[in-house]
Amino acid sequence: MELNMSPGSASSAAPALDPQGKRRRDPLLSRLPETAPLIVVLIGLGLFFTIKSPYFFNYDNFLNILTAASIAGIIAAPATLLMVGAQFDLSVGSGLTFCGVVVAHFAGDMSLGPAIVLGVAAGMVLGSVNGILVTVVGVNPLITTLGTLAAFVGLARVISDGQTLPITHFSTLGTARPFFEIPLPVLIFAAVMLAFWVLMRFTIFGRSMYAIGANPVAARLAGIRVKRFIFAAFFLSGVCVALAALVNISQLSAASPTAGNGLELSVITAVVLGGASLAGGRGTIIGTVLGLLVIGTLNNGLVLLDVSSFWQEVARGVLLILAVSFDQLRLKLGTR
Amino acid sequence: MKSPDADQAGAGIRLSVSGIRKSFGGVEVLRGVDLDIVGGSVVALLGENGAGKSTLVKIIAGDYQPDAGAITIEGTAHSSLNPVTARRLGVRMIFQEIADAPTLTVAENISLGAWPGRRGFVAWRTVKKRAREALERLGVDLDLDAPVGDLSVGERQVVEIARAVVDRANYLILDEPTAALSSTESERLFGYVAALREQGTGVVYITHRLDEVRAVADRVVVLRDGNLVLEADAKTTDRRELVSAMVGREISEVRRPEAVLVPDDAEPLMRLRGAGSTGAFDRIDLDLRAGEVLALYGKVGSGAGEVVQALFGVRKLDAGTVEMEGEAVKLRGPAQAIEHGIGLLPADRQRESAFTMLSLAENLAAPSWPRLAKHGFITRRVEAEAYWRWHGVLNVRSRDDAGQELGTLSGGNQQKVLLGRWLERHARVLLLIEPTRGVDVGAREEIYRSIRALAAEGVAVLVSTSDYEEVVQVADRAVVIARGEIVARLAADEIETKRLIEEVGG
Repeated sequence: MELNMSPGSASSAAPALDPQGKRRRDPLLSRLPETAPLIVVLIGLGLFFTIKSPYFFNYDNFLNILTAASIAGIIAAPATLLMVGAQFDLSVGSGLTFCGVVVAHFAGDMSLGPAIVLGVAAGMVLGSVNGILVTVVGVNPLITTLGTLAAFVGLARVISDGQTLPITHFSTLGTARPFFEIPLPVLIFAAVMLAFWVLMRFTIFGRSMYAIGANPVAARLAGIRVKRFIFAAFFLSGVCVALAALVNISQLSAASPTAGNGLELSVITAVVLGGASLAGGRGTIIGTVLGLLVIGTLNNGLVLLDVSSFWQEVARGVLLILAVSFDQLRLKLGTR
Repeated sequence: MKSPDADQAGAGIRLSVSGIRKSFGGVEVLRGVDLDIVGGSVVALLGENGAGKSTLVKIIAGDYQPDAGAITIEGTAHSSLNPVTARRLGVRMIFQEIADAPTLTVAENISLGAWPGRRGFVAWRTVKKRAREALERLGVDLDLDAPVGDLSVGERQVVEIARAVVDRANYLILDEPTAALSSTESERLFGYVAALREQGTGVVYITHRLDEVRAVADRVVVLRDGNLVLEADAKTTDRRELVSAMVGREISEVRRPEAVLVPDDAEPLMRLRGAGSTGAFDRIDLDLRAGEVLALYGKVGSGAGEVVQALFGVRKLDAGTVEMEGEAVKLRGPAQAIEHGIGLLPADRQRESAFTMLSLAENLAAPSWPRLAKHGFITRRVEAEAYWRWHGVLNVRSRDDAGQELGTLSGGNQQKVLLGRWLERHARVLLLIEPTRGVDVGAREEIYRSIRALAAEGVAVLVSTSDYEEVVQVADRAVVIARGEIVARLAADEIETKRLIEEVGG
């Protein structure tokens, strides 16, 4: 039935307009930041492990947690940007292996400098391939990066011949502690997070990714260069993968052809745990950092309690499912 | 195709409804309607939106149960039908939105849901044989193995009709079947309808296009406000009679605001010359002048929306030129159109313009980010300031918080915020497609006021709409488009409801 548009009916409809503000039934709950549950979980885990283990609550162990989280953390920053734009990069683990192997392989033939340049270039190539496939060819990002995941880990094994390649004179990046005994990887992790926090909060690029994730059609019609920005996000992901690979081989003084196995799982778990919506449009760097800390603390605590590493894998999987279920529940409650 | 015994075909096939009444929530939609559907004849059912056409045919198809009255099918009276019995008694309805399975073949679709088979295995030969026979009866040649998704809209409609033929439907109801068809496809459809009629099917043909009545129907019936107001011979009744029966004298013209008269020879800000886009529109000339609201009025599928897409660079032009202030421009996408000072408010708010999970400020500021940013950085404060600049102007009813999510506002208020986008962007040309679809009456008035205020400030406004009342309410000038071509240009004093309905029909 169409509304009657005769002039008299206009005024009578006025009181029915927009009862805004009434939709939020529980003001206290809605005023809490979305990260509040994560902070509670983190404090809970901290308390639990402090009681259970004498080795948990001290400065060195906290640095251990951060160091262990730094590789996934450097990659989780662009992964947050991607997920906010409703994109995914599953190829990060394979990319880390590939970039590491490239650096170690060429460091043998030439000097370290050019090898590092090649390694970073490898990351850029990976990011560009993903970006072009998603934006120009139009392949679904999950399928694209599942494909490049397989291809690049294969390439890494071809180059390394399946062997672990040693690398010498390159331990500073991974092991130096410039001040307060804080390892350099942790500082890099922090710097990347800070850079992406600024990017996502204050730049046109970052803000556009939220708009793209929230509604890609509307974003395009609002003049946002959707494809360009999605490509850039994949490119940044590749660059950060290369950076993480450098840190990784520097820490181990070797490039293993299995170095990045399962890394995508840790990264996506952290991002989703941090409140990013799989459907896009939502997610923050602060949330992702908290997600990384929860996973890191859990892993660290389980090691201290001498739980087998197999059980740690189970815990990580369960955490991912919980995080995604939570995301779904939030969506359902939100749309009601 | 014509069978020699056409006169006998359909004998005994007769569906009569009498005294049908139906109310929804206290509003009486049908007030005692009688209608006969006779085998071997076509009755055209006409009426405005809300006249009760859909309710009536849904009662015949068993989707709704009448409050009073009876439905008599071949001598047996029923007080109401349900969809299953209606189907069993030979009633089939074909909706505007085609509900087929696009990845399955023509043959599979024709027997869809009733595939013949034995012990769970489909008898493919029978499926094909049935399909072939059904298409033969309609006189159509289609590849039985082609996926339906590859066919044109018109061909898909034929497949739907063929389904009804396979089901031996005696009563076929077509709901605005030509709404999405080109004129050649429509002509063909008339042929299929004629073929079915000759074979004895009773057809009800709902349409908005008056010129189709004579081409396809034997009888014409007009509904208005739930009453049957005219029943006549389709071949001898002229359009004027039909229009006045549909509109009625008691529905007065909608109030018009004072038109702004920009002289005809004023230099247009944006101009479209000889524009064509295959399958959508052809030979379109438009002049958008600063300070003027131009309405582009056409039915759904007329090409009006597509013309606007072309003006925004979303649809490619195959012919013709776009000019901005006398200079030819090529618009390759929305970003470029926006740089030229063009803004678009699309028809489907949820899908095409709103970021419901983002804040009011972000929604309003997004296209202006490049201008609002300082050294590439935007702050929430700058965005909020942009929002508050227009909040009062547009009379948005929201909390005192620019960070409120857009999705929490009512449709009309969302639309105001989205209109604000182009105010903040200083658009010189504003294109709107169906700007008040799904917006309540009060907010509608306010949106019209905003549109007029924008024009008064020197913006060139184009409103593309399928609602003639909208044209009457908002336009200084109107262009009527039908089947992709301009059929009339109306000056301010020529814009009136009757005239618009007449022009768009023919």
